[in-house]
Amino acid sequence: MTTEATPTTPAPAAIAAATSAGNMKPPTRWSIVGREVGRALVALVIAMIATLLIVFFVSKAPVDALVTLVTAPFSKTRTIGLWVDDVAKLTMTGLAFSLVFQARQFALGVQGQLYVGAIAATYVALSPIGQTWAGLPLGILAAMAAGAIYGFLPGIAKARLGANEIVSTLMLNYIAVELCNFLVRVSLVAPGSGLLTTAKFPKTSLYPVLVANTRIDLGLIFAIVSVLTVWFALYRTSWGLKLRLVGHNARFAEYAGIKANFIMVSAMTVAGALGGLLGSMFVQGQAFGQLTVLFEGGFAFEGVLIAIVARNRPLAVPIVAMFYAYLRQGAQLMNIRSDVPAEVISVVAAIIIVLVASQFGLPSWLKRNVLGNRAGAAR
Amino acid sequence: MAFIEARGIGRVYPGGVVANDRVDLSVEKGEVHAVVGENGAGKSTLMKILFGIERPDAGTLTLDGKEMHFAGPRDAIDAGIGMVFQHFSLVPSFTVYENVALGSEPNKGIKFDREAAIARVRDLSEKYKLNVDPMPPVRTLPVGQQQRVEILKALYRNARVLILDEPTAVLAPQEVSELFVAIRSLIEQGCTVIFIAHKLPEVLEISNTITVMRQGRTVGTVKAKDVTEHQLATMMVGREVALRVDRAATTATTEVCAVNNLRLLNARGGDVCKDLSLTVKAGEILGLVGVEGNGQAEVMEAIAGLRHVHDGQIVVANQNIVPLSVLDRRSIGIASIPEDRIAEGLATGATVAENIVATRLKDRRYVRNGLLDLRAIKANAAKLIERFSVRVNGPGVPVGTLSGGNMQKVVVARELSEQPKLLLVSQPTRGVDLGATQFIWRTIAAARDAGAAVLLSSADLSELLALSDRLLVFYRGRIVAAFHNREGLSPETLGTYMLGLSEQSPEDMRAGL
Repeated sequence: MTTEATPTTPAPAAIAAATSAGNMKPPTRWSIVGREVGRALVALVIAMIATLLIVFFVSKAPVDALVTLVTAPFSKTRTIGLWVDDVAKLTMTGLAFSLVFQARQFALGVQGQLYVGAIAATYVALSPIGQTWAGLPLGILAAMAAGAIYGFLPGIAKARLGANEIVSTLMLNYIAVELCNFLVRVSLVAPGSGLLTTAKFPKTSLYPVLVANTRIDLGLIFAIVSVLTVWFALYRTSWGLKLRLVGHNARFAEYAGIKANFIMVSAMTVAGALGGLLGSMFVQGQAFGQLTVLFEGGFAFEGVLIAIVARNRPLAVPIVAMFYAYLRQGAQLMNIRSDVPAEVISVVAAIIIVLVASQFGLPSWLKRNVLGNRAGAAR
Repeated sequence: MAFIEARGIGRVYPGGVVANDRVDLSVEKGEVHAVVGENGAGKSTLMKILFGIERPDAGTLTLDGKEMHFAGPRDAIDAGIGMVFQHFSLVPSFTVYENVALGSEPNKGIKFDREAAIARVRDLSEKYKLNVDPMPPVRTLPVGQQQRVEILKALYRNARVLILDEPTAVLAPQEVSELFVAIRSLIEQGCTVIFIAHKLPEVLEISNTITVMRQGRTVGTVKAKDVTEHQLATMMVGREVALRVDRAATTATTEVCAVNNLRLLNARGGDVCKDLSLTVKAGEILGLVGVEGNGQAEVMEAIAGLRHVHDGQIVVANQNIVPLSVLDRRSIGIASIPEDRIAEGLATGATVAENIVATRLKDRRYVRNGLLDLRAIKANAAKLIERFSVRVNGPGVPVGTLSGGNMQKVVVARELSEQPKLLLVSQPTRGVDLGATQFIWRTIAAARDAGAAVLLSSADLSELLALSDRLLVFYRGRIVAAFHNREGLSPETLGTYMLGLSEQSPEDMRAGL
């Protein structure tokens, strides 16, 4: 054996790692959480480095642009409000996706649910009921019901007809977007006005403001309540356990006597209700207060990123949403105040998704030299 | 220095499971070296390290005097190591030679040189007495032949060392002897074979040297000729074992389950079985014998409610259960241990407690008003872990991190935590170690003694002979023979019926039914 005479440097470290691993305790919930958080943070750092490079290439004043990106969202009460509002909405779409993903249904229908929810809320708000105190709660309920139906349709189509949920939900998204377009142009706007937006909703149909002069409104409360409700439903009810078992192994669920199809359809319906509620949060919230064509602009799909990074865990969703919303707001402000376009943030998002979804491992030299001690202490 | 030398191999899985701990293995050139041990003993991990799928956390690996650091299986293949897994990776619609050449096709210009591939495969098959025709599509071959196609794949890539991971688990007795002929001829031609196995008589028959592993460590290496089956078993388990179940004579009279004129179809609409009838009585174990794919598994699935019944009746406790849902069937006392625990019997990503409660989500002890009683679920799981001695660090651990034997114990614990009326058992100890096998056998026998009617299907004839009171042999969806399990009934006798070489006369059959 020739190599034994010239031991390479990592060898002692490897042996030390192995011996310490010998008395290793089984992974606790917190050590797993720690590992996942570490992974997400490393992904974020790598993505930020990439952003840095891009900004240095495209900007004439790169330092100013970066400072704006990193600090602007916290610079004023108003921008903090923008951030919080974005967090609430990202949380909702992230939750809706997490729910269907946990049941291993790749339903991408939040966008459509959002539009039909918004349309339903608009009809309530612009009706005579909208002028009364009932305008707010009825608008919200109508939005949730519309979203639920819109989530139920692809679910039942899959259960009864075997329709692929990816295709059907994407198609339903188009229908909802164009329906909104049509209704706004044809019936919701006064003829001849030329506007692509409805009149402002009456005050009675708008979400009450929580912090004056910001966009922070009732939607934030809804987001928090939804997180807790979804968490409770998934981890404390038999429906949630069934849903997760179906997601883990549908064949096992059938064998155990769980009606996998029922669970699947109900998961998609409940996620639809969340999507509908998000629609109401848009149009009845302080940000809009009216229905506009294409008001959503692809926002719903950000939920896929949130759900993937949060590993479909409802309690992790708002945390991921906070980071991501901060980046989004920073990029928007950078767009306005410097010469770097907001699209830079898509690069960040893409890098994070690729890194997290591929479950990358940290390179061993990094783990050994940088994280080694900390990881040892955590055990 | 031996041909293959692994020294101080350590491997800890991310879940914290210590799979290998200072494992040593030295294999001489040109021998059949068996590695035996209970499931969870770390055999598979060691083999995956030899084949480059896993990387060791500690230790060295040398091949022919050179230290090896495999970054992946590709490196191991380049170094002349081949591995045949329990689950084959073949393309069913491709022919034998296409499967063998896939990925390393000989070329003529830019075209696949089919003639060269066929000739090469034929040569290899003859040289190593593998007896495989290169031309037919793989899906038409029996399991034993498919396995030899896998061996050909390794030889085609110039493997000098062949690792066979539990090769006999899926084979009928006759096929096992054919495999052994092939292994002997591989050795004659200078190959080295590493053979992973559970069944000790086979290990003693085929191997020169045996390394025994237990709980992630090597217990010792012995020459096959110096050791008895009993000594080996003791080394493996670390205590005295008797692979036998004491069965009281059956006094079965009450019929629990009757299958009448059952007809089942496969996915393509062909008959799996037709006009099939059988009965099981309380307190007896009925063994369903047959090479896999002859209908036994499908009949069990039909009774469990997982397969559509095209025609016929299944009567359990005086009630036709065909229209009932899985849950209803479970509530009248049908329990089932499925053939494939990972694909069907467990949700590996969920915790032990969640897996155990999964079949009882209507039970008021665990679920009230749709809410889970987490404390009761956890306590119940802890109790069953204790009672069925599952080796696990607690009810909150994901099932997927357990060894095969312990996973199976979780399934058994769930299904037998309450005494069933009818118990369906498929392959209860496939890929399960000796200690757990013994435990599972006793548990099944205890369920029978307590009055359960048991339907048992297994690829392992010794298991069927050890447990069953009566045996039915399936061949192409029909029952071709029926026996009372008495002394003198040999695996060879069953084998001739299993392979369709003979069929009982109606009178003999009636005596057995």
